[in-house]
Amino acid sequence: MAYSEKILNKSVDPATQKMLERAEKLDLETAWDRYEKMLPQCGFGELGLCCRICNMGPCRISPFEDAGPKKGVCGATADIIVARNLIRMIAGGAAAHSDHGRDLAHTLLLTAQGKSGGYKIKDETKLAALAKEYGIKTKGRTKEEIALDLAESVYAEFGKQEGFVQFSRRAPEKRVALWKKAGIDPRGIDREIVEIMHRTHIGVDNDPVNLILQGLKASIADGWGGSAIATEISDVLFGTPVPVRSQANLGVLKHDEVNIIAHGHEPVLSEMIVAAALDPKLVEQAKASGAKGINVVGMCCTGNEICMRHGIPIAGNFLQQELAVITGAVEAMIVDVQCIMPALGDLCECFHTKFISTSPKAKFPGAIHMEFNEEKAMEIAKKIVGTAVENYANRNKEKVFIPEDKTDCMVGFSAEAIIKALGGTLDPLLNAVKSGAVKGIAGVVGCNNPKIKHDKGHIELVKELIKNNVLVTTTGCNAIACAKAGLMLPEAAAQAGDGLKGVCKALGIPPVLHMGSCVDISRILTVCAAIANALGVDISDLPVAGAAPEWMSEKAVSIGAYVVSSGIFTVLGTVPQVLGSPLVTEILTKTANSVLGAAFAVETDPIKGARLMIAHMDAKRKALGI
Amino acid sequence: MLNARHLGFKEGDMPQPKEIFVKSDRCVGCKSCIMACAVEHSQSKTLFGAIGESQIPKSRVYVEWVAPDKKIPLVCRQCEDAPCMYACISGAITRNADGVVITDTDKCIGCWTCVMVCPYGVIGRHLEAGKAYRCDRCPDRDLPACVSACPTGALVFETVPAYSKSVRQQASQEFAKAEGE
Amino acid sequence: MDPNQTTYLIVGGSAAGMAAAHAIRMRETDRPITVLTDEPDKPYFRPMIPFLVSGKKAAPDMAMEGSGPYTQKNILVDTGNRVVSVDTSARKVFLDNGRSMAYEKILFATGSRPYIPPDIQGTETQGVFALRTLAHAREMAARAGRTKHAVLLGGGLLNLKVAFALLELKIKVTLVVFSPEVLSRLMDPEDAALIRKALDDAGLKIKTGAAAIGIQSDHTGVTGVVLDDNSEIACEMVCIGKGVRPNVEFLESSGIKLEKGIVADRHTACSQPYTFAAGDVAVTHDPISGEPVMTALWTNAVEMGRCAGLNMAGLPTAYTGTFGILNATQVAKTPFVSMGLVHTRELNCEIYSHTTRMSHRKMVFSPDGARLMGMVLVGDIRNAGLYRHVIQERMAVERFKREIINHSLHWGHFIR
Repeated sequence: MAYSEKILNKSVDPATQKMLERAEKLDLETAWDRYEKMLPQCGFGELGLCCRICNMGPCRISPFEDAGPKKGVCGATADIIVARNLIRMIAGGAAAHSDHGRDLAHTLLLTAQGKSGGYKIKDETKLAALAKEYGIKTKGRTKEEIALDLAESVYAEFGKQEGFVQFSRRAPEKRVALWKKAGIDPRGIDREIVEIMHRTHIGVDNDPVNLILQGLKASIADGWGGSAIATEISDVLFGTPVPVRSQANLGVLKHDEVNIIAHGHEPVLSEMIVAAALDPKLVEQAKASGAKGINVVGMCCTGNEICMRHGIPIAGNFLQQELAVITGAVEAMIVDVQCIMPALGDLCECFHTKFISTSPKAKFPGAIHMEFNEEKAMEIAKKIVGTAVENYANRNKEKVFIPEDKTDCMVGFSAEAIIKALGGTLDPLLNAVKSGAVKGIAGVVGCNNPKIKHDKGHIELVKELIKNNVLVTTTGCNAIACAKAGLMLPEAAAQAGDGLKGVCKALGIPPVLHMGSCVDISRILTVCAAIANALGVDISDLPVAGAAPEWMSEKAVSIGAYVVSSGIFTVLGTVPQVLGSPLVTEILTKTANSVLGAAFAVETDPIKGARLMIAHMDAKRKALGI
Repeated sequence: MLNARHLGFKEGDMPQPKEIFVKSDRCVGCKSCIMACAVEHSQSKTLFGAIGESQIPKSRVYVEWVAPDKKIPLVCRQCEDAPCMYACISGAITRNADGVVITDTDKCIGCWTCVMVCPYGVIGRHLEAGKAYRCDRCPDRDLPACVSACPTGALVFETVPAYSKSVRQQASQEFAKAEGE
Repeated sequence: MDPNQTTYLIVGGSAAGMAAAHAIRMRETDRPITVLTDEPDKPYFRPMIPFLVSGKKAAPDMAMEGSGPYTQKNILVDTGNRVVSVDTSARKVFLDNGRSMAYEKILFATGSRPYIPPDIQGTETQGVFALRTLAHAREMAARAGRTKHAVLLGGGLLNLKVAFALLELKIKVTLVVFSPEVLSRLMDPEDAALIRKALDDAGLKIKTGAAAIGIQSDHTGVTGVVLDDNSEIACEMVCIGKGVRPNVEFLESSGIKLEKGIVADRHTACSQPYTFAAGDVAVTHDPISGEPVMTALWTNAVEMGRCAGLNMAGLPTAYTGTFGILNATQVAKTPFVSMGLVHTRELNCEIYSHTTRMSHRKMVFSPDGARLMGMVLVGDIRNAGLYRHVIQERMAVERFKREIINHSLHWGHFIR
């Protein structure tokens, strides 16, 4: 099929290309169109040199005018403005992840109290393990009793004023000592975020280094705090993922079934949607409308959650959300929080699709709000699914266009699952790394961004890594991209270098391991911590590296910050808004090495980015003497 | 001021170059034009590259503020009878066939006489190089960088007749509306 | 074409003469234009000659033909031809080589020559220069080879440019200045303070309040200068920059009205029919004071020459007059602009001045404060052209007086 060069330039994913052509035919606007219209984007913003923090502004520092202002009205220099803007992004991202964790903790609390409407405690082993970390007694107690104590302990982490965030102690002692030395060992989750907001208020913290350190502190409270809590409590409630087969891409939508997309982030909602859709009455209702059944699929991170745990198919990643609606085959796009485009409202009006918002925190123009709460979870979920089923009759078959593309994948590699696959201990992996069969481990994560050809950044970088015997762990939209590209099948080992190929064959795993949603990057950190502890070194000594080839969200900024703070070199594929301050740029890309043992690199070319990671791993291997 | 008409040229004789016209009521002072001009006149021609260059590239367009709320973009008018061209004591300034007034940097000795006579104040002084510089109408582009970058259409690249016509059309619409009342 | 006859005859091939010639040719495509210059060199940008001394530029770099706006063709330039007398009724000039030339219209653009104070003994000595022509510059460049120390008499702009040219050649330079400060013709002493500092920092030795009374020499030429305090400075080169005098001697018996220079009316015409004058040689008027003024500035000469050319070509054009002072340059990395009325010590003017470490400015308003009369900018010379416009057009400044005083004036202020 011959696509216009314009469309081919936007994505490497065949389903996306087909849908973009379809969108053009139907004269429907997508994020790509809005991005083009937005060009040229403001240079001051791109450089991070625009400050709107107080009403003496807005201020901008001009890098090119001799006679232009070099300081904001309050006297803030470019360095200060960039640093403040950067850590506010961390605050936004950390807040998002942490609220997600908070919601999970709340759900566990209600479940333990018997007040939740349909949640169960599924993984008692995990419950006990977490309880142990918090010093909660488990012997002779019911799971509800343990869960109650755990929920309260975890809940308390958010409002903690002093002390430390419990899960951060999973990190090697050396790493924790480094955090303490740098003054970035977080005291509590919300506190560090609030302090960012305080410090970035006009006339508070005006030292770029000091500002950045607080940003890192809050990010650690995210990665080892809020996100980790989200992951762990989700595992307790919904089960720790084990390897399971699934499919990814828009082709998972069905012509003859009620299609429901769960989009957003929290499994608190999506798990219920999945469960509700199994209700015989609703299935009956669907059949009565002429559908063969109810097809629940996921998008973005909530899609990752239900895929990891139940093998529910994933329709696509961030930039594909509009395209899913444009198939004309979606009865309901059910959303909760994060990464949901407000453009969906208008778009759904062009089709029969119902755009249903569920969170009191996240309302959208053109959405039907069916507010979800944990107390009446299953009841509400059934109502929402019912609304979708009813909508099937409104589907206009003439307007339906579902690209066939969908790819099989093997997902579900939680840390526990990986260790199980290794035979119960990390040793086989450690030996493979030591022998060089596996050069190192990469965590490739992050969003989509129309600034980068859709999925090209993700796939090319990952392919280059596995070619060089780097085992890739992945989450979020990168994971979805890899799944769509067939990299999550054991057969994909054929694209790996010989060393990695052998390991994958021996273990029956793909070269790219899906570890979950974005909060599940905490899983990757847990694995790194375990490996580091096993080898008796710090995480920064390991041949590991991170990458976010197409990142866009503030959550990504927080993630990048906590990954680097944990000692892992990270490559960013889109340019962050910091170049307006040479000082901040230097801190992030160079000075961080001496303080954190790791730093950022910015490289928009995915192959070059992969090579940076590989070179980094080689250097670390050399230093370890392996 | 003397001009080419006095010297015998009629408007139809000369090919019509395009000028950069300014609609100051549309200017919001975002200074995107300044950024784009500087980047266009940098070595690397990218924003991120330009800020790292050892000689910070200069913008040839200026945005000035007039209290309480007017923003006025200013750029070299490429005068047909450019005062700077006549005042230059080293003969460095010429007006080329496209109607662009150009300072030959080899000849420029940085005496700033041109700055002294420019009635618009749009000749810049390059401190490091000691040379004068002004808008060159972006010879390598179809559309000058500033015009391309302006998000509100405050900068317009058009020939004099075409631009004047559009102003007349606007004015006549206003007249017609006013008379109709 | 008869070489002894022409339609437009221009005596003098520098700024005014060439500007006039090109202005005429732009309007008159066919009729002959002849420029006579007594110099051996084809017309060149005179202000550039210090660069020949320093070696930074070569003579071809300074040629006027083809540079800047001087791109017209078919202008006959005869070098080495000096006019010694003019018969304005017969409309004929007589050259020193015996030739004569008939004309229909004539422009006197003979410029000026350096003034050599008669009270300095020994100014004819080898190695003593008054830099005016390319020929002088060549001689100076040649002498530079054997010069370790040069003494420059006069603290004006020309000598400062020469000084830096010599400093480039690693020659020590001492400036002997009669006035209390350098650039006394262009600004008051306090205005020159920043420039003086820059000059001192650049290695120039400056003696103010001193005058030379004699020049010592031997068979090698200049060996020293004697000052009026009887001190002696050893040197191998002396450069005199003590102003200029108009070249009008050839008009003594011509009937043309002279008042030091050639008197020109508002249309650059002289007292006899078909005669015009422009440039350093002409006496025109200062638009601010209305007083007769002679200027020795390239920019003014070009402007007046163009105006004369248009008048000669049949388009009556009024010359709006020139400021006595209108200078811009950069010395020792310090740029400055000075224009209009700048010597304010004896004046009853409204003056605003502001000095910082890096810059200085003085804005001179009329006694009633309604008009800008003069301005000095040192260091920060942005928008200087706007001030010239304000002064020249005698604009009422009330609307933007604050901006002028703060040096934040920009063109937008004119249209609000």
